[in-house]
Amino acid sequence: MPAEITMPQLSDTMTEGAVVKWLKKEGDKIASGEKIAEVETDKAVMEMESFDAGVVAALVAAEGQKVPVGSLLAVIATGSENPAEVKKKIGSPAPAAASPPASRREVAASRKPAAVAAASASSFARASSGEIREADDVVGHGATRQPAVSVPPVHHQDNGGEHVVVSPVARRIAAEKNIDLHALRGSGPGGRIVKEDVLAFQSPAAATAAAPPPPGNGQSQVIPLTKMRAAIARSLLASKQNIPHFYESIDVDVEDLVKLRAELNDLLEPEKIRLSLGDFLAKAVAAALLRHPALNATFSGSEITRYADVHLGMAVAIPDGLIVPVLRNIHLMGLKEIRRRSVDLVDRARAQRLTQDEMTGGTFTVSNLGTFGIREFVAIINPPQVGILAIAAAEKRPVVRNDQIVARTMMTLTLSADHRVVDGSTAADFLKTLKTLLEQPGMMLV
Amino acid sequence: MTEEMERDENVFLMGEEVAQYHGAYKVSEGMLEKFGPRRIIDTPISEAGFAGLGVGAACCGLRPIIEFMSWSFTLVCLDQIVNNAANVRYMSGGQFTVPIVFRGGNGIAHQLGATHSHRLESVCARIPGLVVVAPSTPYDAKGLLKTSIRCNDPVIFLESEKMLAEKGEVPDEEYLLPIGKANIERPGADVTIVSYGRPLQRVVRPAVIALQQEQGIDAELIDVRTLRPLDVDTIAQSIKKTNRCVIVDEDWGYCGMGSGILLKLQKRCFDDLDAPIEYVHSDEIPVPFSHPLEEAMMPSVDRIVAAVKEACYR
Repeated sequence: MPAEITMPQLSDTMTEGAVVKWLKKEGDKIASGEKIAEVETDKAVMEMESFDAGVVAALVAAEGQKVPVGSLLAVIATGSENPAEVKKKIGSPAPAAASPPASRREVAASRKPAAVAAASASSFARASSGEIREADDVVGHGATRQPAVSVPPVHHQDNGGEHVVVSPVARRIAAEKNIDLHALRGSGPGGRIVKEDVLAFQSPAAATAAAPPPPGNGQSQVIPLTKMRAAIARSLLASKQNIPHFYESIDVDVEDLVKLRAELNDLLEPEKIRLSLGDFLAKAVAAALLRHPALNATFSGSEITRYADVHLGMAVAIPDGLIVPVLRNIHLMGLKEIRRRSVDLVDRARAQRLTQDEMTGGTFTVSNLGTFGIREFVAIINPPQVGILAIAAAEKRPVVRNDQIVARTMMTLTLSADHRVVDGSTAADFLKTLKTLLEQPGMMLV
Repeated sequence: MTEEMERDENVFLMGEEVAQYHGAYKVSEGMLEKFGPRRIIDTPISEAGFAGLGVGAACCGLRPIIEFMSWSFTLVCLDQIVNNAANVRYMSGGQFTVPIVFRGGNGIAHQLGATHSHRLESVCARIPGLVVVAPSTPYDAKGLLKTSIRCNDPVIFLESEKMLAEKGEVPDEEYLLPIGKANIERPGADVTIVSYGRPLQRVVRPAVIALQQEQGIDAELIDVRTLRPLDVDTIAQSIKKTNRCVIVDEDWGYCGMGSGILLKLQKRCFDDLDAPIEYVHSDEIPVPFSHPLEEAMMPSVDRIVAAVKEACYR
């Protein structure tokens, strides 16, 4: 039986994806586990492997074309099957795969065959991050998970067992506009999300679009949103709309830390390692979080989960976007390890080569604009986390010591926290600990 | 009726007091003089008898108009209407058609008591083989009645004693209105109100004005005009625009006419709805004789406004 390869769902938010590049041509032989394509999700480009060995009979999806999750991408002739015959049987490409659907209704219509195919075909592709568990989870339950991809579910069970009540037309519009219903607050009876709520969610962007600045002499440019830009727009807006942020700033004297860094870098010179201030910050934040677990947490809306381990998200700027790779178990790492791992993550983030696993599961996030010379800033919380630390530049400032004005290397840290679960004094205690660790770096050893 | 009887000699009128008394409500005034007793026929108080006579005449090629003084009195002749009129064409494999119009006053018509205030639309509109028409203006009444008389299937034509004195523009020249086509009486953006006949004339029109003036709600008013076959397309198009729907009739709610309309809409319009469809109907009690109680059990402007506000989350 020919093996079908369909668009896998590689993240919870992924509803469509595109084959960036086919790594095999029709007629090529392919072994099980061999890479067949590069697939772009809303966050990254991933390589996809074939589970089946055989001959690539047909490449159904065109490169660069966005198709819904579950759509047929390619067919592999297995065993003694004649690839030409297999291709003929497929005939013209399936409608779902041939063209991006004009409306959600069509997606819904096309999802059943896709789901059935997913359930019956014995073979699928997986993301080649070695994360077989993730891949199995995605495709193994394809038949049941696909519908949730095509149409946002009315009843959504997440950590808190939250139940989203939404009017039919509001659900339809949200699906059309790709709005996450969980980002909305319903104004109807019993908190029902109604049409107005969905439209209101649109209005900030719509308002901007409605009143473009008067044209100048130069040529203005209309830029369609990339998948990443759209994902950023959606999630940050949802964060600001749903999380009551509050902010606390603290000035830290990093004079000694800067000296320590210089000393250590001299010692590490032979190993060609240069620690950055950010590495020390990451280590100090991890240590402070262990002492203040209220901030090393996630919030589902109905319950708080505090973590014994620190998985630190680090916001990384990439061309036209932002990505947050997660340094897992950073609390167990020394500075060299932190340096090595973060450089690797940042490099691969910029190349959009991170696996899904490396971008999720953070328990707290830091955003560092120190190298840009920013004096201080506030960051937006990355839900479901409850805090994010904005790290500004270290700079010489006049400060008062023993009633004398002296020049010291200072740095301003600003914590954004979710006031639903974190209180002002809790946040202040965390910052105080962090300040101590940074001003007396030896404390990180004890 | 006169125009149609002049046009087609097969058309005749039969019922209680239609000839010598000119109709219980003077509907057939002057017709006996014009057409004579062969075509304007008085009957005894015998609904089952003259309804059956009409069905037989229709089977034999005539085009009877059967007037009932009140649709409440037709419960004794439902066998003729349901078993015979509605089914003869089907049962005879098309050998017989039944081109007949049953017409008369339907519904609550002011202090006539429980047995004299029945609304028969939901009883008739559920029967395959029947056409059910319920006009709400003089213009519609004439255009639809002429089409009904020319229709080759049995037509249930629902009038109201309270609307016979209604005045309105009616052109001199001949016109026909199609069966099965709803009328968007007033376009609006915020909510679709679906109604017909007497309740539309009595409370829905004033409610639409009150909604606009007092609540700033711009209602689209659809007069379905034909209850079977129902023009679902027009209603669905409207709901696509407004995302809300309120149905108003004077039937009892449970298994009432509006319930049937709701059934046709809910699946078709599901993805266009922002709120559950509201249904304003009479209270489920026998219709009281007392005027204040009768008023209280029926849909009112206030009830419609409240239902519309509910549908609009206001």
